[in-house]
Amino acid sequence: MNATWLLPTAILLGIYVLCAGCYGLVYALGRLRESRKVTRTAYGFYAMQGLTTLLLVALTPLAWGWKLFLVACFLVYAAIPPITWRQLERTHALEHES
Amino acid sequence: MPESTAVVFEPGAGDPRFWRDGAIATTAFMLLVLLLLTVDSLRVLTEGGGGNVPAYTVINQKITYEFDAASNMDKPVIGGEELLFGHRYSEAEAKAIMDKGKLVIQSRSCINCHAFFGNGAYYAPDLTKAWLDPTWEKMWMPMTQAKTREDAMVQFLMHPDRYPTWARQMPNLNLSEEEARAVTAYLKWISSVQTNGFPAGFGRREVAR
Amino acid sequence: MNQSKKLGVQYLTASIVMMGALLLFGLLASIFYLKYGFLLGKLDFNIVKQVHINALIIACLWGFMGAIYWFLPDELGIETVGIGLARLLFWVFVAAVAVVVVVFIFVQYGSSDESGMWLVNQGRKYVEAPRWAAVGIVAVFLTLAYNIFASVAKARKVTGIMGVLMTTMIPLIAVYLIAFPAPTNMSVDLYWWWWLVHMWVEATWELMIGCILALALMKLLGTSRKVVEIWLYLEVALVLGTGILGLGHHYFWIGTPQYWLSIGGIFSALEPLPLLGMVVHAIYDAGKHQMKTHNKPAFLWLIAEAFGNFIGAGIWGFMMTLPQINLYSHGTQWTVSHGHFAFYGAYITGIIAVAYMVAQESRGIREVQGNAWKWAFAGLNIGMVGMVGALLVSGMSEAFIGRALGGSTLDGFMASQSNSWFMQGMIARTGFGVIIVASYFILAWDLLTLGRRSEKLSPALATT
Ligand code: HEM
Ligand code: HEM
Ligand SMILES: [Fe+2]
Repeated sequence: MNATWLLPTAILLGIYVLCAGCYGLVYALGRLRESRKVTRTAYGFYAMQGLTTLLLVALTPLAWGWKLFLVACFLVYAAIPPITWRQLERTHALEHES
Repeated sequence: MPESTAVVFEPGAGDPRFWRDGAIATTAFMLLVLLLLTVDSLRVLTEGGGGNVPAYTVINQKITYEFDAASNMDKPVIGGEELLFGHRYSEAEAKAIMDKGKLVIQSRSCINCHAFFGNGAYYAPDLTKAWLDPTWEKMWMPMTQAKTREDAMVQFLMHPDRYPTWARQMPNLNLSEEEARAVTAYLKWISSVQTNGFPAGFGRREVAR
Repeated sequence: MNQSKKLGVQYLTASIVMMGALLLFGLLASIFYLKYGFLLGKLDFNIVKQVHINALIIACLWGFMGAIYWFLPDELGIETVGIGLARLLFWVFVAAVAVVVVVFIFVQYGSSDESGMWLVNQGRKYVEAPRWAAVGIVAVFLTLAYNIFASVAKARKVTGIMGVLMTTMIPLIAVYLIAFPAPTNMSVDLYWWWWLVHMWVEATWELMIGCILALALMKLLGTSRKVVEIWLYLEVALVLGTGILGLGHHYFWIGTPQYWLSIGGIFSALEPLPLLGMVVHAIYDAGKHQMKTHNKPAFLWLIAEAFGNFIGAGIWGFMMTLPQINLYSHGTQWTVSHGHFAFYGAYITGIIAVAYMVAQESRGIREVQGNAWKWAFAGLNIGMVGMVGALLVSGMSEAFIGRALGGSTLDGFMASQSNSWFMQGMIARTGFGVIIVASYFILAWDLLTLGRRSEKLSPALATT
C-alpha cells in the first residue's frame, strides 16, 4: 500500500459493503411490496458493488490474493438476499402449518 | 401449499435440530483450528524461543529497524553489543527488570493514553518502537542534557512536566528512578519484536510539523 | 411481580444509569483533545478514558443480566432458582463498582507490584478493575450461571434458546479469567487478552444478545418458537463460523506469525455476510407485521440494532480489516470510530429496546405513548452517526499524515494531531457528544416516567 492510495482504497472498500447493504435492503423492500421496479433498483445497487469491485481490482495496490477474494465475495453477496428471503418464507410457512 | 412442499424437498431445513447440529459442528471445527494455530503462535511468541520475540537479554545489544526487501516489510535487526545503562544484564537480571517494567506500565495505566503494537489508546504516540525514535537524539538528549538515549528517557519519564513541548503534555506519574529505568529497558526490548512490518517506515519517513 | 423480574428491572435500571456515566466520561475525555493541559495532573486522560470504557463494559453486562433475569421466568414458567442470592449479589455488585470508580478517580495509580494489581488498577484495557473486584465479577457470573442451569433443571425444560444461552455462560466465564494474570511478555499478554476482548464482543455477547432478542421477538411480534430457533441456530453458526477465526484481525502486528494476516483478513472480511442477512430479516419482520405492535420504541430500537450492527461492525469494520489498510489505520481514531459504532449498534441499541419492553410490561402499559421517545431515538442515532463520522475523518487524516507519511514516530504523530482535518473532526465529535448526552437524558426520563406520567395527563393529551 502506498500513501496516495491508502484512503481511496479504504473508501472504496467501505462503498463496496455499503452497496451490498443497499442491495439487501432494497431487495427486501421490493419483495415485500412485490414490486418489480424496486427489485430492479436493488440489482442496480448490486451492479454498483460490481463497479466498485472493478475499481478496486483495476486501480488499487491491493495484493492479487485480496483482489481475487473481493471478486469471490462479490459473487457470494449476490446470493445472500434471495436465499435469506426464501428461507424466511419457508420458516414462516412452518408457523402456519402447525 | 407450495411453501410446505418446498420444506419437504429440503431435508431437515424445517427442523431446528438440523440447524443446531450444523451450528455445533461449525463451532467445534473453528475452535479446533484456533487451538492448533494457538499452539504454533505461542511458540513463535515466547521470548527467546527463536520465533518473533527475542530473549530479554537483547537489551544488551544494538537494535535497529530496517526495510527488508525480500519480505517487503520493516523488520528489527539485532546488532552487536550496546549496553543499557553501561551494564551487561544477566538472564536473571534482564527478567527481573522486565517484570518490573511491565508492572510499572500496568500500574500507571500507560495504555490508556499510549498504545503498544497499536493496542491501547490513541491520545499519545504508539510506544512499540519508541526506543528507536529519532527525537531522543535530536531533541530530548540536548533538552535533558543527558549523555545517552537511555538517560534521556529516564529523565523524561521521571519529569515529563518539565519538558512541555507539543500540543499535548504527559503528566508526571511519580516514577522512581528504578521504575523509570525498568520502563526504559522494557521499551528497548519491545522494539526488538518482529511485528510483520508495523509500524511501516518508522524513522525513515518525515513529515513537516 | 416475581423476584426474578424484579431483579431484571433493577439490573436494567442500573444499566441505563451506567450509560449516563459512560456518556459523561466520554464527553469529558473528548475535551482533552481540544484543550491543552486540561485537568493535567489532577484527573488525567487515561483515568477518564478508563472510567469511560469500564462503564461501557458494566453497562452492557448489567443490561444483559437484566434482560436474562426478566425473561427467564417467562421462558421456563417458574421462579428462578437461587434468586435470593442473585438479589443480594446485585447490591454487592453495585457497591463494588462504585468503590472501583472512586478508587480510579481518587487513588488513580497503585504501586508497581502485585499489591497495586490487587487493590487499585490492573492497567489492561477494558479490564482495569483491580483483582479483588474481578474476583467479585467471577462470583456474580457463577451465580448467574447457577440461576440459569438450576432453573432449567427444575423446570425440566431445555428450550433451544436456553440451550444457546447456557452455552454462552461457559465462554463468558472462561475467557474472563484472562483478566487475572499479567504475563511480562507483552506479545503473549496481548495474545490472550484478545481472546477475552474479541471473544466476548464478537462471539459470546453477540450470542447472548441474540438469545435475548429472540425472546424479545417472540413476545413483541408473536413470532413462533420454531422459527426463532432456526434463526438463532443459523446465527450461531454464522457468527462463530466467521468470528472465531476473525480473532485473527487482532493478530496482525503483535509479534504473531505471518499467516494471521491472511486468516484474520479473510475471516473478518466474511463477517459482514451474516450481518447482511440480518438486515433482510429485519425488513421482512417489519413488513410482515406491518409495524403492528404496542411498543413502537422497542420495535424501532430493534430495527436500529440490525442496521447499526451492519453499518458499525460490517461497513466500518470492513474498511480497515484488510492487512494492507490496517497497517496504517490500526490504533488511530479510525479504530475508535469503528469501536463506537459497533458497540452502540450491536449492544446499546438492543439493551434500550429491552428496557422499553420491560418498562411497558412491568408497569402494565397497554400502548407506549408520548413523544419523548422519538426525540431520544432521533437524537441518539443522529448524534452517534455524526460522532463516528467525525471520528472517521480524524482517523483517516491521522492514518494518512501520522502513519503513511510520518512513519508513526513522535514527530509523525504530533503532526497528525495538529492537522486541521484532524482537529475539526475532534471538535465535531465533542459537538455530537453533547447531542448524545442531551438525548440520553430524554431517554432516561422517558423510561423512568413511562406509564407513570401519562396517567396524570388528560386522555386527549395522552393519545398524541
Ligand atoms: C458522548 C459520547 C461519547 C464521547 C464523546 C466519547 C469519547 C471517547 C473518547 C475520547 C475515547 C478515547 C479514545 C482514545 O483513546 O483516543 C473513547 C473511547 C471509547 N469509547 Fe467513547 N465516547 C462517547 C460515547 C461512547 C459510547 C456510547 C460508547 C459505546 C457504545 C463508547 C465506547 C468507547 C470505546 C469502545 C472506546 C475505546 C475505543 C478504542 O480505544 O478503540 N463511547 N470514547
Ligand atoms: C459487534 C461487533 C463488533 C464490535 C462490538 C467491535 C468492536 C471493536 C472494538 C471496540 C475495537 C477496538 C479494540 C481495541 O483496540 O480496544 C475493534 C477493533 C477491530 N475490529 Fe471490531 N467490532 C465488531 C465487529 C467487527 C467486524 C464485523 C469486523 C470486520 C469486518 C471488525 C474489524 C475490526 C478490526 C480490523 C479491528 C482492529 C482495528 C485496529 O487495527 O486498530 N470488527 N472492534
Ligand atoms: Fe474483533
